[in-house]
Amino acid sequence: MTTATAELELTGARAGYGTVEVLHGLDLAIPAGKVTALLGANGAGKSTTLRVLSGLIPLRAGTLTWRGEDITRLSTVDRARRGLMLVPDERAVFATLSVRDNLQIIAEASGHPDITPALESFPRLRERLTQRAGSMSGGERRMLALARALLARPSVLMVDELSLGLSPKVAADLFGWLATVAASGTTVLLADQYTEQALAMADLVYVLHRGERSFVGTPAEFAGGTPAGASA
Amino acid sequence: MTSIDLALAGISLGAIAALSGIGLLVTYRTNGVLNLAQGGIATLVAYIFREMVVEWDLPIWLAAVIALAVVSPGIGLLLERLVFRPLARRRASAAEALVASLGVLVLSLGITAGIWGLGSRSDAPSIFPNSSVRVFGDSRLGVDALAELIMVVVFAAVIGIIAARTAFGRQIRAVVDDRQLAELSGVPADKVAAAGWAAGTTMAGLTGILLAPRFQLTPYGLTLLVLETFAVVVAARLSSMPVAVLTALGIAILQSELKQFTLHGDAGQILTVLQSNLFIVALLVLLLAVPKLRELGSGDSGATASFSSRGAPPSGRVSGVRLRRDYLGKLGGGALLLAPLTFAPSDLRSAFMVPALALIFLSMVIVTGYSGQLSLGAAGFAGLGALLSLKLANGDLFGLPAIPGIASMFVGALFVAPIGLITGYPAIRRRGLTLALTTFAVGAVVSRFVFEQPTFATGLYLDPLSLFGWELSEKAFYVFELLCLGFGLLVVRNLHHGRLGRALLALRDHSEGAAAVGVDVRNLKLLAFTVSSVVAGLGGTLLVHSSYSFSADDFAPLQSLLWFTAVVVFGADSAAGAIVAAAFMVTIDVLAPAGSSTLAIGILALALGWMPGGLASAVRGLLRLLAQYLADSFVDPNQRAPRPVPVRISAVGHLPATTGITGSTGIPGIGSTLGAARAGHYARWPLSGNQLGLPADAPRLTPFGASLVAMVQQYAAAQTAVGRQQRAAGAGGAPRPAGPQPSRAGAGAGAGAATHPAEGGRA
Repeated sequence: MTTATAELELTGARAGYGTVEVLHGLDLAIPAGKVTALLGANGAGKSTTLRVLSGLIPLRAGTLTWRGEDITRLSTVDRARRGLMLVPDERAVFATLSVRDNLQIIAEASGHPDITPALESFPRLRERLTQRAGSMSGGERRMLALARALLARPSVLMVDELSLGLSPKVAADLFGWLATVAASGTTVLLADQYTEQALAMADLVYVLHRGERSFVGTPAEFAGGTPAGASA
Repeated sequence: MTSIDLALAGISLGAIAALSGIGLLVTYRTNGVLNLAQGGIATLVAYIFREMVVEWDLPIWLAAVIALAVVSPGIGLLLERLVFRPLARRRASAAEALVASLGVLVLSLGITAGIWGLGSRSDAPSIFPNSSVRVFGDSRLGVDALAELIMVVVFAAVIGIIAARTAFGRQIRAVVDDRQLAELSGVPADKVAAAGWAAGTTMAGLTGILLAPRFQLTPYGLTLLVLETFAVVVAARLSSMPVAVLTALGIAILQSELKQFTLHGDAGQILTVLQSNLFIVALLVLLLAVPKLRELGSGDSGATASFSSRGAPPSGRVSGVRLRRDYLGKLGGGALLLAPLTFAPSDLRSAFMVPALALIFLSMVIVTGYSGQLSLGAAGFAGLGALLSLKLANGDLFGLPAIPGIASMFVGALFVAPIGLITGYPAIRRRGLTLALTTFAVGAVVSRFVFEQPTFATGLYLDPLSLFGWELSEKAFYVFELLCLGFGLLVVRNLHHGRLGRALLALRDHSEGAAAVGVDVRNLKLLAFTVSSVVAGLGGTLLVHSSYSFSADDFAPLQSLLWFTAVVVFGADSAAGAIVAAAFMVTIDVLAPAGSSTLAIGILALALGWMPGGLASAVRGLLRLLAQYLADSFVDPNQRAPRPVPVRISAVGHLPATTGITGSTGIPGIGSTLGAARAGHYARWPLSGNQLGLPADAPRLTPFGASLVAMVQQYAAAQTAVGRQQRAAGAGGAPRPAGPQPSRAGAGAGAGAATHPAEGGRA
């Protein structure tokens, strides 16, 4: 793996909540224009990593650089303005606001106040523009969350648990959409347990275990570690 | 005066109330905080304005500009930065924000009283000339009223347009919906919130400056006046600005119109009170009548569990060591409470207040700490208990025969029970914010219609207490107080233990959940309110006897707010905390100038942002940390007992959604590395040489699951080899304790191996 084209680079990251440390010196390099999958069991530190990258949790040690710029001390808002866009696993839309407001807020904040690209990607949202986001189904909310991120024209799109709580059909649709976004050259970081689909998309795989990196490599290398007897 | 003239006279007050309402709504709709401190801030700004004009001889316009363009918004910005931003950052509950705003109220009261004293001033300057313009016919409208009306219309319109039509308005709604998500979307949430606070406190300052010349300027009086305008935002259901403005004007004009009537007898007296207190009555009536406030967020501002840190006491047998320690603590506390018996008489008299206040605080622990209902009306119950027992002792209560002193205290306290029961009824369907305001309104109405009325509160004689013909000495009275306090503690203990205690805690932490498992929520709430009111009543009686007089000020509605804040600061669910709080307040008031305790409580309340659970919890946490630190520095890391490894509930055979729930903490993964990682002696999984594998009855693996398991086995083999080498190298030294570490690692590995196939199963 080369770090020359890294979009985001996290080195020696320590972070946690209160007295508890969750990440114990994590190193990550997210290559530009590629899909990176961040895998691991519940509690491995995937969500914490994404929260660290987006600035919701401060780093206790270590550095974060974005396209060579040190953004370790930058606020969440400033990172969002640089295009680091996180779609959290829960509370990813403004529940009390209409779908249109949800889209417009992020469109205006990122300086491209036109919401039609989102509606073209997700035509279903067009029918729901005046509906309160909180009253939509889980799949539709997930759609809206992704549509919002798209409007911000992200430099790095980070998605936490895309498939969480969704039916396989809806999840497959959203993965398909994400693949087209990635194909257009956006750097994508995917934290997921739904590993087969994430692996199918990924160019690079990280596996976290208890706040540390336990594997890094291509999906092929990931699969290649399998002894002959256990493979399918 | 004709009706039209009276209506015109009422406009000014109505417009000021409308301005206050606009300020409250702006703060609420931008930050989700109902700013109870509005009154305190208004008063503080009014005092600063008066100081600049009267004492420093600044021109009125300059003073107004400084007060409204610098001081007021400055207060708002400071509050946002220091108090409410940290709360928003850790997504504190609405109840915590409510308490923080109470803390600000108490602090601003403390500052005002500390600098300018509690006395009243009648020389507050007015910004408008004292002239009037002809409206129609002979009716004239004051210039002040006209200007205020124009301000209301302009502010309401401007704010309405900003909220509904601009991108900034959308950002406000986004920030108040979910501040974190707003930041993730690139919305500068801190700036939006700060703007909301600055606008809100500016309106508060304006309210104070406009109100002050119309009334006597006193810290408590003016604050209460502003608090009464909460009626306006309740009518607006916390959302509609036009409704708030119209309600403000309506109540003020109605109150003014009442002046043309005169009645005789009791009805006349009630009418007189109504003529100047319609706002507080309206607040109570509206709270009972308005079906539901449009609270922001989940609307679950009743979750007081966030500042009640502990669960139920252990049921069943407690270890001997712990029992001994508990008894030691109680003995120490008891000895401290007995200490005043050795004091000089004057100091002993000061100490009289401690058990009395402690009982009132205990009543709040019952309602707030144990059953989770925000109650801001304790002073009302305490005052009623005092008044009823005095009336009983004097023999002029509903023609009942005079009851001797000590018996009258208990009977009087019992007579408060029905009133507590009635107050409990609104609590059945109300929670959080609404309930807090309702109980506050009850306290305020009782204060205005009972305590401040000559018919009820004059001609009371305080006879020396006697028992079996023996007059109680001061020391004996103090002992009697302690006995009452002991009785109160016994009641609290019975409420907190066993079946009833668990039911109350369930009610506190999740009332719907409690109802779902068969807890009788309705009767439990009524019980809590009733018992609490009796305890408060008893405390009130003792308070009156310790100060040898009944004074309406002792039971003013604002006292409830101060007391409530003190209870929360010292741990809302801690009976010991209630006693300490009482001792703390009395001690400070004796040693320092009057009002210092208010200041101290206010400061501590603001620090709640950094110590959720109150002082009691902070002290407990500090002791725990200290003990851990001592243990860490004296015990060889290798000799330590293993820290608990969280139990992972494997999802094998369960629905995928329940995969890998960690047993020890709410946050997945946390706890597994607690302490161990910090100490650097973490036995890395999987260190053990145990054969890794799946249980025989595990479900068949998917291809990916199989590959993961294989990886794990490879990795384990490599680590084991490294571990053996290290052990071989260290064999020359002291033999290592073999017990804890490998077994812990084995547990971790087993759990890990069990969760992975589960995920494979999902794929």
